[in-house]
Amino acid sequence: MIRVLGYLVFRTIKNRLHRQAIKLKNPRYALALILGFAYLWFLLVQPNLATNRGASLSYEWLAMLGALALAGMVAWGWVFGRDKAVLIYTPAEVHYLFPAPITRRQLVGYKLVRSQLVILLNVALWVVLFGTGTRGLPWYARAAALWTLFSTVHLHRIGASFVRTSLARHGWAGAKRRVVSLTIIVLTLTAVAWGMLDALPDIHRAFQTGLSAVFQTMGDVLYRPVPTVVLIPFRLVIDPVAAATVREWALAMAPAIAILLLHLIWVVRSDAAFEEASAEASLERARTIEAIQRGAMPVADRSRPASAPIFRLAPTGWAGGAIIWKNIVAVGRARRLWRIVLTTLLFAAVFMAVVGHKRESWAGLVSGLLAGWAGVLLVFGPLWVRNDLRSDLEYADLLRAYPVGGATVVSAEAASSALVLTAAQIGLLLLALAASLGATVSGIDDAAKLAFFAGALVVLPAVNLLGMLIQNGIALLFPAWVTLGPRRPSGVEALGQTMLATPPFLLALAVALTPPVAVGYAAALYLSPTLGLVAYGAGTVLFLLGVGLEAFLLSEWLGGAYDRLDPSATELAGSR
Amino acid sequence: MQPGEVLGLVGPNGAGKTTTLRAISGIIPPSSGSIRIAGFDLARRPLEAKRALAFIPDEPHLFEYLTVEEHLRFVGRLYHVPDAPERIGPLLGELELMDKRGALPAELSRGMKQKLAIACGLIHDPKAVFFDEPLTGLDPVGIRRMKETIRRRAQLGSAVILSSHLLHMVEEVCTRVLIIQHGRLVALGTIEEIISDRPELAGLPLEEVFLALTGNTETPQG
Repeated sequence: MIRVLGYLVFRTIKNRLHRQAIKLKNPRYALALILGFAYLWFLLVQPNLATNRGASLSYEWLAMLGALALAGMVAWGWVFGRDKAVLIYTPAEVHYLFPAPITRRQLVGYKLVRSQLVILLNVALWVVLFGTGTRGLPWYARAAALWTLFSTVHLHRIGASFVRTSLARHGWAGAKRRVVSLTIIVLTLTAVAWGMLDALPDIHRAFQTGLSAVFQTMGDVLYRPVPTVVLIPFRLVIDPVAAATVREWALAMAPAIAILLLHLIWVVRSDAAFEEASAEASLERARTIEAIQRGAMPVADRSRPASAPIFRLAPTGWAGGAIIWKNIVAVGRARRLWRIVLTTLLFAAVFMAVVGHKRESWAGLVSGLLAGWAGVLLVFGPLWVRNDLRSDLEYADLLRAYPVGGATVVSAEAASSALVLTAAQIGLLLLALAASLGATVSGIDDAAKLAFFAGALVVLPAVNLLGMLIQNGIALLFPAWVTLGPRRPSGVEALGQTMLATPPFLLALAVALTPPVAVGYAAALYLSPTLGLVAYGAGTVLFLLGVGLEAFLLSEWLGGAYDRLDPSATELAGSR
Repeated sequence: MQPGEVLGLVGPNGAGKTTTLRAISGIIPPSSGSIRIAGFDLARRPLEAKRALAFIPDEPHLFEYLTVEEHLRFVGRLYHVPDAPERIGPLLGELELMDKRGALPAELSRGMKQKLAIACGLIHDPKAVFFDEPLTGLDPVGIRRMKETIRRRAQLGSAVILSSHLLHMVEEVCTRVLIIQHGRLVALGTIEEIISDRPELAGLPLEEVFLALTGNTETPQG
């Protein structure tokens, strides 16, 4: 049985690569491949990033911070992870494999082997990007350590998704069955929070000094008894990656492998939950068939009714408005998003209530973190927010049949994501502003903060729109090479792909922004002696006009590509 | 194609039925020739041509987070239908989806999804409607209603093209038949016209006519 599943994996990969290689006959894909190789070669000949930048930071502290980040990611997955199992089988797999004489464990194993493709790719990317650093560990040892780390994290996400699926299906009954694991999570989070609460003043003081002082202080804090104990399992997984010598690495690998194996056993043995899910799905299917045979419509609606859309769609008007409306409704109905927003607000409210009496001293830290997160979204947001063509190209047949021009489709799809991303950034900045109003933070008074916020209101939509047009353009020009659909490889194990994709994207964005910024800035400088502050307003208007012109030209060009798009190329990308 | 006509597109697997429908719907460009929908050239004036047509695929494509009613509002806006809100109720009633107007696609059965896709195709009262394998996945009641829907559209003045492997359905619903093979026309006309060109086929059921015209003379085994 393993051989036949192996055959399926091997042939699928081979044929997929073959189909994608055929695309190279198209000059656009060939050029992209050459540029891609040139980019990788540039990365390879560069002294690796860890050599240049990692030397000044202590590896020990980095390992501890890495353990903290890993703990945060795991906690995030438990609290905000998807309610559906991470192991999703394609319709073909369900059709052929589920009724076949294959055990559930073999099915889980098959999926795990398939997921190794992404993990191995990202291990290779990490080794290429960061090399072995200054610590002299051979590349294969570093690769093995990274593979262990990524595989463990991936298995943990699958195991957690099984538990979450079970909870979602069985409610309180499921919760009682999972009481042990839930109690461990709650106790762990409480212990870490408790252990770090009294260290917050030290961290705050470090913020006044600089970033390396912050890292140093956080590293020190993590060595306090409670965080140290809580982070031990995470350290055990991280330590092989941070090892300095082969001996250290070998010693660290043993417990890391043990944790990996424990996770493997956990996931494989979780097939009880898997069986339940399948049984329930079969039961639902049987009910449906029975209802149809009775001539009645099946009662499929057991979930909550859909929430009302944020705004009502007028029956006439710009067709792109309908696309924007559709995409925003979809975002609004993603319950996971609202869970994140509400929980963040709850945490912020609790935190502010706890430190309210020392508000002045905490304003800088809180507002800095919120504004920093808005900045992170500026860089990575266009990769993460995908309610645009990257999702809708799966419906290419349907979209193409609509009487809507390519430029309208492209601009509306890009605008949808840009609006969502901008709303998130503005929300974070608004919170940052509210947290720091009345307090002078690092010499920045309220007037300056308000001016910065007003500037962000104008600049962010423009930058986001260009960023989204670039991302949508990549999906449109290379549909056979881009992962389409609302989901993309995620988690720490897919971080390498994000790191690889980010610099070229930022470069393209910088190139696109340079002319409007240059024109706006030059105009402001030229006019400021005569117009004073008004000159900066004029410069901003010119900047926005420049971005608008670029967005128009990009939409027209990409709209032409959309009109010429072969939907079969998107079918290839969609068949994951 | 004239208003009120129903053309059945038949041919063996891989003959090019779906490709033909995708081309005349403006999804893929034709390799040669031109397509005119309601007087508009699909290549030169694609938006005007597309506003006059509806393509209903065999597999309903629906947006995960739009309810039944919102799908219709969305499509109505894309096709510039000012009275779409007024049309939604009767259309949902005709397709027996009224009590599901607030449901998301995940809450619908396969047949209901198919009906919703049809409703989306009809909201703008198209002059040409293209169905790709319209009976796929429908139960007997659904099949009967689908045939009624197709006939009603034709009675209301739409030109309808449907592809199907179900020859008895084509025989029952269509006014003319187009048989294609390897992307090329084999026969076009009413069944009587087709048979008049091949007198030896007179009196045979459409299935036998189809097999003879496509060169497949195998008789069914067992």
